[in-house]
Amino acid sequence: MNFLQRAIKNVTRKLSKSILLLLTFFVIGNFVIVGLGISQASENAKIMTRQKMRAVVSYEIDYDAINEYINSLTDQDAIDEFYNNGYPNIKLSDVKPLLEDERVLTANALTTTQLYATEGSDFVHLGNQVEEDLSSQEMCYVDPDGNQVCEPYNQPTYFLKANYFPNMIEFQEGSYNIVDGRFYTQDEINDNVMVVLVSQALADLNGWRVGDVIDFYSSDPSSIEPGGYMGDMGITTEDITMSLEIIGIYTHNQAITPSSENFDWTYPYENPDNMLLMPGTSYAAHSLAQAEKSWDYYASQFPDDPYYTDPANRPTAETLGYIGNVTILLNDPLDVDSFVADYSDDIPEFMMINANNEEFERLSKPLDTISLFANFIVWLVVINAVVIITLVTALTLKTREYEIGVLLSIGASKLKIIGQFFVELAIVAVIGFTLSIFSGSLVAGKVGEVVLDYQITESGVAEENDYMIGYPSTSIWDTDYTTDITLDDLVGEYSVSISPLIIAEIYVVGLGIVLVSTLIPSLMIMRFNPKKILMNQN
Amino acid sequence: MAEILKLENINYSYIDGGFERQILKDLSYTFEDHKFYTILGPSGSGKTTLLSIISGLDTPKSGKIYYAGEDIEKMGLGKYRRNKISIVFQQYNLINYLTALENVLVAMSETDNKLPKNHKEVAYALLEKFGIVKTKADRMVNQLSGGEQQRVAIARSLASNVDLIFADEPTGNLDTATEKEIVGVFKELAHEYGKTVIVVTHSDSVSELSDQRLLLSDGILKDIS
Repeated sequence: MNFLQRAIKNVTRKLSKSILLLLTFFVIGNFVIVGLGISQASENAKIMTRQKMRAVVSYEIDYDAINEYINSLTDQDAIDEFYNNGYPNIKLSDVKPLLEDERVLTANALTTTQLYATEGSDFVHLGNQVEEDLSSQEMCYVDPDGNQVCEPYNQPTYFLKANYFPNMIEFQEGSYNIVDGRFYTQDEINDNVMVVLVSQALADLNGWRVGDVIDFYSSDPSSIEPGGYMGDMGITTEDITMSLEIIGIYTHNQAITPSSENFDWTYPYENPDNMLLMPGTSYAAHSLAQAEKSWDYYASQFPDDPYYTDPANRPTAETLGYIGNVTILLNDPLDVDSFVADYSDDIPEFMMINANNEEFERLSKPLDTISLFANFIVWLVVINAVVIITLVTALTLKTREYEIGVLLSIGASKLKIIGQFFVELAIVAVIGFTLSIFSGSLVAGKVGEVVLDYQITESGVAEENDYMIGYPSTSIWDTDYTTDITLDDLVGEYSVSISPLIIAEIYVVGLGIVLVSTLIPSLMIMRFNPKKILMNQN
Repeated sequence: MAEILKLENINYSYIDGGFERQILKDLSYTFEDHKFYTILGPSGSGKTTLLSIISGLDTPKSGKIYYAGEDIEKMGLGKYRRNKISIVFQQYNLINYLTALENVLVAMSETDNKLPKNHKEVAYALLEKFGIVKTKADRMVNQLSGGEQQRVAIARSLASNVDLIFADEPTGNLDTATEKEIVGVFKELAHEYGKTVIVVTHSDSVSELSDQRLLLSDGILKDIS
């Protein structure tokens, strides 16, 4: 008849006390299960929705911070100086340390522009309204005298995406796939090698193969003819010609068809089939000749302008590579927040790392509130449970002094006596919590739904329009790499169920309550004097 | 006869109404094994205090107690109570949510002494020895009479296989017939089972049946056999 057996006998033979405690634990268990179930459902809904979102963060200029800074300036000269010299730009050297993080898969730091076909090259035609309208090859406008003037005009036919890193998010995610050749390497980026990847449709149309060298114009060739605005700057055909070796042919999943939105108004260069991919450094190096001649031209036109008299402002290959933002693709969507938190304090002033999850956060608010509320309930119930059970145990202890005295008189250790009390409570707690798992499972789902509906209505989230994060993904100039989500996405993932984890948590919470509740009575037992107990009894 | 319990200069006092009351004064005595002792004394003479001290429920202000030559304080009072002695109380002190059998089993599970493996059978046999048959042994203790409960308490005191048994007014709540019966049991324990039994009582009829009668008076033990 060791202390465990005594505990079992006490529980089974002191039934009224055991049933009262059982009911207490049962009620506590139900509250805890409902609370934990709802809290976990809220967290799961957020996690599962987050996992469906793309794991992208963007390194970009913090225009809000700039505006705030400029507004804080009172001296106009300081404002002018900021605009002329100090306006922040993204520097790749600042971004590169971020890309060494093991959570990063790849990044896009893109320079985008239009290119023009040379003799003998064709673009993939859509046969839409825009192509029909632009077939005149002239641009006409009305001059200040009211005369209509028409000038030769070449339609840009290709779109260039020039990345500064040897991969692209599109290839990493599989929306683009190389079918022949390869992507450009870091060495080719470092050495400004003139290489290009073309779409399979474009390669098939022109009969291009990997290894072919194709010429493209980086500016409208008509503009360098006499009278053209670039011709006056001394820019030549050679300056605007890029001879690019095809190193890769790729396919994409962004085909535009007659059923596509804005099909009729899509320009040829906006057709993804007409997209060229080359190293950003190579494009910047190519642009240098045009930029220098342009700078020299304006310097001669405005000799007194301090901007042109300062040689530091003369363009270089480095200053030409303008990057609007850098999009970083991470391994795991759940790493986004931690990545942003880890680096936000280490980047230069007026730069920011954007998790692009404002909409997600906004839509998640009802779930956050529910989770907070549910956790609060759990804590409240647990604290109350500890207080109630402690009081019950302490009161029970008073009525069991005699038994304790007897046990002490026969040499039972105080620890064993405490152990018996703990086991008695634990047995009842386990039974109570086990029963509450069944009832709690039934209640939690219903309560969860009611609470969510109420919270969505209260928060007003449903009445606000869901909007897309970032820019529309149809813009070829600035691709949106974020994911648009709706309240339905989040609510769809919200499902209150009692998982094995919650069941385990219930038992841990229960044993925790029992442990803490036994603590104070244990201190009382430790102070018990068997002689006093038994003498009083006698 | 060998010495089993030796009291050496035991002093015990407590503060009562601001005055120190000396209960035991340099008390020394040696108990021998296989004997049935009774300790008599008027109310308030300190009989129960003495029993508490020699049974390890309390400690003296000064002095030493040796069990078979070993200082019980060094041995540890818990260990002493668990393995060397057992106590029978006036109120029987049985655990009320256990059966008679289970009360005996409690003592068997707590002691570190070597016992036969079949605890249950031994406990039944022990109870039967003292008149508690199996059907009664399986009853809750509060369903037994006072005499029966005291027999259960005695059986429990024997269950842990100790050599020294103390009893504090064990017949105080019993009628004369049962008292005789219980005293007979104590004699039997001393003479047939080789135990040393020390009973604190105020009853001359109990005392007359003991091997050695001691009187606690003025804080010391006097042999009045």
